[in-house]
Amino acid sequence: MDISEKIIESTNEIFSSMVMMELAVNGEIRDCMEPLTNSITGVIGLAGTHKGVLAIHFPITVALAITSSFLGMDVDEMNEDVEDAVGELANMLGGSVKSILSAKGRDIELSLPSVISGENYDFQPTREVDRVVIPFKCDAGEFSVELELEK
Amino acid sequence: MKESLDVGSEIVAGCKDVFSTMLMVELEAEEVVIQKKVAIKSNITSMIGLGGGLKGLLAVHCPALVATEITGTFLGMDVEEIDDDVKDAIGEIANMIAGNLKISFAKTDTKIELAIPTSIVGDSFYVSGIADSTRIVVPFRMGEGKFWVELMYIMNT
Repeated sequence: MDISEKIIESTNEIFSSMVMMELAVNGEIRDCMEPLTNSITGVIGLAGTHKGVLAIHFPITVALAITSSFLGMDVDEMNEDVEDAVGELANMLGGSVKSILSAKGRDIELSLPSVISGENYDFQPTREVDRVVIPFKCDAGEFSVELELEK
Repeated sequence: MKESLDVGSEIVAGCKDVFSTMLMVELEAEEVVIQKKVAIKSNITSMIGLGGGLKGLLAVHCPALVATEITGTFLGMDVEEIDDDVKDAIGEIANMIAGNLKISFAKTDTKIELAIPTSIVGDSFYVSGIADSTRIVVPFRMGEGKFWVELMYIMNT
């Protein structure tokens, strides 16, 4: 099983247990991404035997629906709850990727999660990396998860 | 031991060191801002994750003019707009500043591992960390321009 399949499995698990939403993969896995508009991105760094970055990118509307479902209350505008939820999802996915890449996750350290949001931004690797961008869809709309690993 | 490190001063010294060795530019640092809101204008932010004894994130925020000036000076050529060279240059600077911070913390027996830099390019975006982290921002002046180095972290004890 390659790493994309494991990321898909982990994302499905996290969403069905924490967000109470079912997901489907929405098209081809890619190695690049278009600039984002009206979006929010949760990011976490991986350091140690594997160095990389894991990111989850949501259109704002999808992030609001997911945060509402995650917290069990209506969230209809961008606020700290949305940032925290998106950061926490990145953190949970980072934890899964850590165990995928290293037995018991022992040789990889996670950074703190952070959140980027805005009307218009382009999220790009700086180094030569292996990049997978996995598109998902749920009832609330589409989003993507990406992993960049240093070559 | 860990408390004895003045993290703000280490960021100032580490960043000045990167600019004087790599760009032959002497930077001026403004006052270190700890745990307070700072107005940051960025068209390109390069950030790198830190893990280990300290969990965090180091980000370099530059307006377009400063980013192209830094890259032009770094590469010894004119750079007009934010292209792949700029992304790589600012990412590498974030990586080197984080590398100096890793050396600073090693003196207090705190081992830090670095992730890889990523860049965010745009005209309206902002970066936030998690609520319980310590946030330090250092504004720097390079010629007429200004850029910001930010560290958000928690000690992982």
